[in-house]
Amino acid sequence: MLKTYISMMRGVVLAATLLACGSALAQTTATGVINGVLVNKNGISLQFDTDPAGVTLGAAGTNAATANFGSVSAFGPLSGGVTRPSVTAANFTVRTIFDVQVIQGGLTSTTYTLTANLAAAAPTGLSYKVDAVTLSTASQTIQTTGAYNTDVAHNLDLVISTAAPGAGGPVVGTPITTAINFTATAN
Amino acid sequence: MKKVMLLTIFAALMMISSAAVAQTTASGTLTVTATVNGSIQLVFDSDAAGVALSGTGTNTATLAFGNVSAFGAISGGIVRTTTASNFTVSSAVDVKVSKTNSASANYTLTAQLGAADAVNNWTVGGVAVTSAAQSTLTATGAYAADSNFPVAITVPFTTASGTNISNTINYTATAN
Repeated sequence: MLKTYISMMRGVVLAATLLACGSALAQTTATGVINGVLVNKNGISLQFDTDPAGVTLGAAGTNAATANFGSVSAFGPLSGGVTRPSVTAANFTVRTIFDVQVIQGGLTSTTYTLTANLAAAAPTGLSYKVDAVTLSTASQTIQTTGAYNTDVAHNLDLVISTAAPGAGGPVVGTPITTAINFTATAN
Repeated sequence: MKKVMLLTIFAALMMISSAAVAQTTASGTLTVTATVNGSIQLVFDSDAAGVALSGTGTNTATLAFGNVSAFGAISGGIVRTTTASNFTVSSAVDVKVSKTNSASANYTLTAQLGAADAVNNWTVGGVAVTSAAQSTLTATGAYAADSNFPVAITVPFTTASGTNISNTINYTATAN
């Protein structure tokens, strides 16, 4: 087998040399062929988009966006894109809307499941909801039949205790930041 | 040689398999920021003993005494006193101030007439109220409870019958 291989290689080298010689002699033409090979890999991607009814996201169109509610209170004015669906003696809720777009390519999947979790425990006096699902550090299912390649609107609620700071309520006057991790899984 | 081929195929399959698994999920992080501020709210509530307010439960209510006179019939919820030269009609009005995200123990409540009234005298909670300056009704108001601050108008006998008396009273609650 090895002998045959060596013999073949010799043949190839000889042929290549002859071709090179011929080319050198002709000198008036030169040709080349580039074979481009593309490997199409399937996959999905997730990005956050600003919803027309919500706050303008920072880094919209990426998978690492920011949503700033600005100053929120039970009775005071709110920023554009923020609403206050409820105020009770115990707490009040402020809401904005953001879009999630999951794009797929090369998959037979027609829908995806969206889950979310808090990156760290919620700050004192606050809880976070996406589409009425209360988030924790454990993954929670938000949607089981998400549509691909289109913006899907989701409500993001902050439920804020009305208690005073130090009495179960959140700190006041300073920005409170929490990261929410989202995962889309092709069904 | 065979072994090498088998290992190569196995490794390739493993790579394809893991790639396929990895590519069916996507993730993202949304960082959420909010600044919570303390706030208070003032609303007017109808008092059981007074005239029913329109707009009760809001901060823009109306107290309509209706037709009043020194000696004639008077509507329910109105208390009347008469002297030799004037009469006073009064109605209980509840003010409720609520607070959130605040350690404030109480509030100060002030009131001021929206327009000057040179003829009639106005009081709220027994405190004379004019358009010139804010009058302090209480400096230690209790939160989240209806507090009755009766609104009273003293009308001189010299006022012509059928005269409409109307004014606004602007209330301000400030957290202490």
